[in-house]
Amino acid sequence: MPALLTSRQRVLDALSHREPDRVPVDLGSTSVTGMHVSVVAALRDYYGLERRPVKVHEPMQMLGVVEDDLAAALEVDVAGMPRRKAHFGFTFDNWKPWNFNGLEVLVPGMFNVTEADNGDILLYPQGDVSAAPSGRMPKGGYFFDAIVRQNHFDPDHLDPEDNLEEFKPVSDDDVASISAAVREAQATGRAVAASFGGTGFGDIAAVPAVGLKDPRGIRDITEWYISLRSRRSYIHAVFEKQCEIALGNLARIHAAVGDAVDAVYLCGTDFGTQTSAFCSVATFRELWFPYYKAICGWVHANTSWKCFKHSCGSVERFFESFIEAGFDIVNPVQCSAAGMNPATLKQKYGDRLVFWGGGIDTQKTLPFGTSADVREETLRRCEIFAPGGGFVFNPVHNVQAGTPVQNIVAMLDAVKEFNHA
Amino acid sequence: MPDLQKLYDAVLSGDRNTAVAVTQEAIATGGDPLELISKYMVPAMDEVGRLFECEEYFVPELLLSARAMKGSLELLRPLLAARGAQPVGRVVIGTVKGDLHDIGKNLVASLLEGGGFEVIDFGADVAPEKFIAAVQEKGANIVALSALLTVTMPAMRTTIDALKQAGVRERIKVMVGGAPVTEQFAAEIGADGYSDNASAAVTLARRLTATAVRP
Repeated sequence: MPALLTSRQRVLDALSHREPDRVPVDLGSTSVTGMHVSVVAALRDYYGLERRPVKVHEPMQMLGVVEDDLAAALEVDVAGMPRRKAHFGFTFDNWKPWNFNGLEVLVPGMFNVTEADNGDILLYPQGDVSAAPSGRMPKGGYFFDAIVRQNHFDPDHLDPEDNLEEFKPVSDDDVASISAAVREAQATGRAVAASFGGTGFGDIAAVPAVGLKDPRGIRDITEWYISLRSRRSYIHAVFEKQCEIALGNLARIHAAVGDAVDAVYLCGTDFGTQTSAFCSVATFRELWFPYYKAICGWVHANTSWKCFKHSCGSVERFFESFIEAGFDIVNPVQCSAAGMNPATLKQKYGDRLVFWGGGIDTQKTLPFGTSADVREETLRRCEIFAPGGGFVFNPVHNVQAGTPVQNIVAMLDAVKEFNHA
Repeated sequence: MPDLQKLYDAVLSGDRNTAVAVTQEAIATGGDPLELISKYMVPAMDEVGRLFECEEYFVPELLLSARAMKGSLELLRPLLAARGAQPVGRVVIGTVKGDLHDIGKNLVASLLEGGGFEVIDFGADVAPEKFIAAVQEKGANIVALSALLTVTMPAMRTTIDALKQAGVRERIKVMVGGAPVTEQFAAEIGADGYSDNASAAVTLARRLTATAVRP
C-alpha cells in the first residue's frame, strides 16, 4: 500500500490538477472557509478536546480559530495564517474572555463593546469607545454588521484619496508579523493559505471601513453600488492606487515569506447573487479585470503561490475572465445559485480552475438537513469535483452558527467514506 | 407642459436630476400627478424590472432608477395625498428581527413604490409587533418579510405566528424573500407568496393585492 501523501503535498497535487491520494479538506484556513466560533466550540466538545475558550479570529463574522488539536481531529489539510489586525482596526493580541450569548470565547484586548439601549452589542473601530461604533450585533445575534458612517459626503467634490485611507504600505512590523505567522502555519505540515489583505477591490464588506474612526469617501453600500455605474472614473482612481500599493506590499511580503505560502486569498468581492450577478461581464472587465490581472500577473511572475478568488452566488459567467486574469482557485462555488450546476462547472472549467468549496450547501443541507441528506450531498459533490484533482473540499462558505455538530461530522465522515471507497 | 417622455427616459436611465426637473416642470404647468405616475413612471419601472430579469440591468442600474423614481415621487406624493388618491396597495416591509441586511429588501421596496404601491419601510431588525401595529394602525394589506441569514429565517415564522395571534393574519397577505428563503420554506411557514428577485416581487404583490382586502 503506497504511503499517504503529506497534507501539503495532497493540497499541492489538487492545486496542480493532479488527483491526490484523497480529497484534501479545508475547514478554517481563511475568513471565507471557516466556522462560527460556537460551532468550533461545539466540535471541540464533540471530539473530547481540552475545554478552553475558542479564539475569535474574525470578529465581523465571529469565526473561531481551529487550533492544531481540532485540526488533527478534523483531519484538515490546510493551515491558515492568523491576521495581525482585524477589519475593526485592532491587533490580535492580549486575548481576553468575552461572554458571547452564554459561551465564553476569547477576543482581542481591544475588542471593546458597549450595549445599546435596545440590547444590541456595539463594537468600536480600533477599540476606541470614544469614537462612533462601526459594528452592530443585534441582541442575541451571531455576528456583527457594519454600521455605515457616511458623514462627509459631497457628491460634487469627491476625492479618491478618501477611499484609500485604509490601504497603506506595510510596515516592517507588519512584514515581521506576517512572516512569523506564515512560518507557524508552515510548521504544521499542512498547506498554507495566506491572507495578506489589501487586494480586495471594492469588497462590499470592506467599503464601510469599520476599522477607521471617521471614514471619508464613499462608505454607504448603496452609494458604492450606484457609483459602479455612475462614477467609474472615481472607482478606477481608487482601484489603480490600491493596486499600486498592493503590488509594493506583495513584493515586500514575498521577500520575507518566499514560497512558504501555497495559496493566497486575494479578493472576496462578491459578484453573484442567489439568482443573478451584481454587474455585467462587460462592467467586470472594465472595472476589475485590469487590477486583478496586474495582481495575479505579479504573483505568477514572482512566486509559486496560487491565486484564490472568493465570490458568492451565480458567477459562472465570470469564470473565463477570472481565468484570463490569472486566478487559479475559485471559492465558495455556490452550487445552489443560478447556473452553478457542479457537474457543468467541473466539465467546463475543471482543468483550469480549482474548486475550493462546493462541498456542501450551508444555507439548507448542512444546517437544516438530516445526517443522511448531508452524507448524500457530500458524496455526490466529491464524486463530481474530485476526479483529476482541482478540488479542495470545503463547504459553500463559512459554517453558520446553529449548524448541528452531527451534520458536520456526517459531512467529514462522508469525505472519508469517499476517500476509502 | 414638458415632454413627459423625458420622465420615462430619466427613470429608465437612472437620471435623478432630469426626473426631478421634468416632474417639477410638469407640476408647475398643471400636470396630473396620477397620470405622471401611471403613464410614465410605473411603465418605466416595469421596463427596469424587465431589463433586470433578462439581465441587461443589474443592481447598480436598479438602484439608480429607483433613486430617480423616488426623487420624482417625493414631489408628487403630497399632491396625491391632498387629493385622497388611493395606492394600488399598502405594503409594510422589513427585514426580520435579528437580521440587519437590507439591500435586497430596499430593492424590493423601491420597485414596489415604482409599481404604484404605498410602502411603509421599517428597515432592518424589525420586531413582529411593529408589523402588527402597521396592519392595525396604518391599514397595510401586504406584509413583506426579508431575511438574509439561515439563523434569522425562523423569525419569519415567528412574525407570521404573531400576526395570527394578533388576529390580523386573515386581513393581509404575507410575502417573503431573501437569499436562503425558498418557495418550500415560504409554504411551510404559511406565507402567501415568495419571490426570488425584486422585479418578481412586484408581480407577486400585484397578484396578492388582487385577492387582498383593499387599504
